[in-house]
Amino acid sequence: MSGSQSALREANRGLIIETVHRHGGLTQVELAGATGLSTATVSTIVKELLAAGVVDTRNTTRSGRRAQMVTIARRVGLAVGIHIGVRQLRVALGDATREVLAEQTLPLPHEHRMDTSLDRAALLVTELLERVGSSVDEVVGVGIALPAPVDAATGMISVRGMMSGWDEIHIGHVLSKRLGCPVFVDNDANLGALAESVRGAARFFRDSVFVRASYGTGAGIVLGSQVHVGFAGTAGEIGHVQVDPDGQMCRCGSRGCRDTVVGAAALTGALRETHGTLTLRDIVQGAIDGDPGCARVIAEAGSSIGVVVAGLVIALNPQVVVVGGELAETGEVLVAPLREAIRQRVLPNQIAPLEVVAAELGEGAEVIGALESVFRSTDFVARSADPLVMARDGEADD
Amino acid sequence: MISSRVPLLSLQQITKRFGAVEALVGVDLDVYAHQVVALVGDNGAGKSTLAKVISGVISPDSGLVEMDGVAQTISSPSAAHALGIATVFQDLALCGNLDVTSNIFLGRELTAGAFVDDGQMEQIARRLLRDLTSRIPSVRTSVSELSAGQRQAVAIARTLVGSPRLVVLDEPTAALSVAQTAEVLMYIERLRELGHGVILISHNMNDVRAVSDRIEVLRHGRNNGTFDAATASYESILAAITGATSPQDDRVRRVAAFH
Repeated sequence: MSGSQSALREANRGLIIETVHRHGGLTQVELAGATGLSTATVSTIVKELLAAGVVDTRNTTRSGRRAQMVTIARRVGLAVGIHIGVRQLRVALGDATREVLAEQTLPLPHEHRMDTSLDRAALLVTELLERVGSSVDEVVGVGIALPAPVDAATGMISVRGMMSGWDEIHIGHVLSKRLGCPVFVDNDANLGALAESVRGAARFFRDSVFVRASYGTGAGIVLGSQVHVGFAGTAGEIGHVQVDPDGQMCRCGSRGCRDTVVGAAALTGALRETHGTLTLRDIVQGAIDGDPGCARVIAEAGSSIGVVVAGLVIALNPQVVVVGGELAETGEVLVAPLREAIRQRVLPNQIAPLEVVAAELGEGAEVIGALESVFRSTDFVARSADPLVMARDGEADD
Repeated sequence: MISSRVPLLSLQQITKRFGAVEALVGVDLDVYAHQVVALVGDNGAGKSTLAKVISGVISPDSGLVEMDGVAQTISSPSAAHALGIATVFQDLALCGNLDVTSNIFLGRELTAGAFVDDGQMEQIARRLLRDLTSRIPSVRTSVSELSAGQRQAVAIARTLVGSPRLVVLDEPTAALSVAQTAEVLMYIERLRELGHGVILISHNMNDVRAVSDRIEVLRHGRNNGTFDAATASYESILAAITGATSPQDDRVRRVAAFH
């Protein structure tokens, strides 16, 4: 009997933590409503979690009444991760424990404009900060992931034409002026690679390659646990390896790039005759639901990407290839042919065969990488506003 | 998930006059399942009138309405509801003093014997909101305490109660903050993923281009262009809205050359 009691309590605790996570911050009364638990149970569990340092509470008001706002406890300093994708914008707030405190996705239009998207990103950041009861003052830095190669020295897109209307723009300046904190810009595949190598499928390996199969294809390279971006940030741009000398022109200015063969336009085009107009997301969902046509184009994309990744594998000899991006949500539909294509082309190695696995962090990998890059690039403890909290942190570490 | 070849809803040559005002003149509109069709146009272009025709609030003077290829008369909102058409109007029509669950089931309360089945309704309300991945903390809070974006979620969730096939949203992102807009746009994507047809009426080109499959422009109550949202530019859509271009342009030019 007592066993099931404690199991129930454990489940309720988990439910409360999960709910606070999902909402960013909410009052005890709201927590009771959201979880379906009684206010007394919520109050008891919140007290326990507060004592254990899992949550924080602060006084707030709801419809004129005093209330206790419950948030996930955070270490000093918040980081912001922003992923500006081809069709969506994702913003996440994280603290020094690498815990994501709040997150929001905004669908973006085709060829979205730089000024509008950056403006919306900045507004989303401030609104998410409000949601967790914080402000811009607490932010130590912002990391931005872009679907284009980025020059590490300037934070600008280093190849013209990759994102229409975003060339020659100092994205970091635009946002740091609005948010008043340092902004770091990087390629999304590089940040995905960082995230997977620190917290995802490549965390037990020193050398890994992260393949991002999305609207276009890119790769991030991790050597000796460090991301290798190359001189101008174009390392791993496997979407622009020429595969068809007579193929279509690519937005980068070359002809017959990998992206013209397996990019979003090519995949949706291949299914237009039989399936009508689909989005890339529809194809991914179709493949997951077992639609043979959708699964087929994704599988073909997998083997086609594998051919190019094989070249990268021969050059770098990584221990693992991690496959992420939207297409990887189909799991083995994409990964199996990709793995097969690589294995057929690389040197068989008796010591430790190359592993090709699906990413673990899913669509959040890029923002998690962006958060990670902020904490690696800033000395966040030095900006602590509250010396007491710092002291407490110090003790906890001892 | 694959859109079938027969449109879920097909409007042909819909005309509606209010005295001397031509609200709609020969308007055509097709919506397929698993598709978001945006209806854009200037103030008074006839967007909301068309929404009211679809939801049975007003009847057209002439024209053909088909559901799944079968001619139908949508004579009242309840007839629309019976056909699987659910509408969220601009003013949402929520009761601020009632809680989220009561609003979602307003007028369609579930009963267990002679009593209203609160537990069951609360469970369904919670599931509907979770399906929309909404962040409404509690189904027991009264709607007056919710943010504008959360109210929109309640209004959308309410449309899902009768498991509709077509959801009409009239200006769902007007006067919302960016985070709330983001949530509403995610709901629209969810509705599409759930296999519903969606008609989205909006002024905001960004929102429209972000989530819709097809954009239909209305101007002075007439069709003035159809655009594939995945490729259409702002400029071409705006040109059609403002009348800088019209579908008849080619013909006008040809006729002029002939004379």
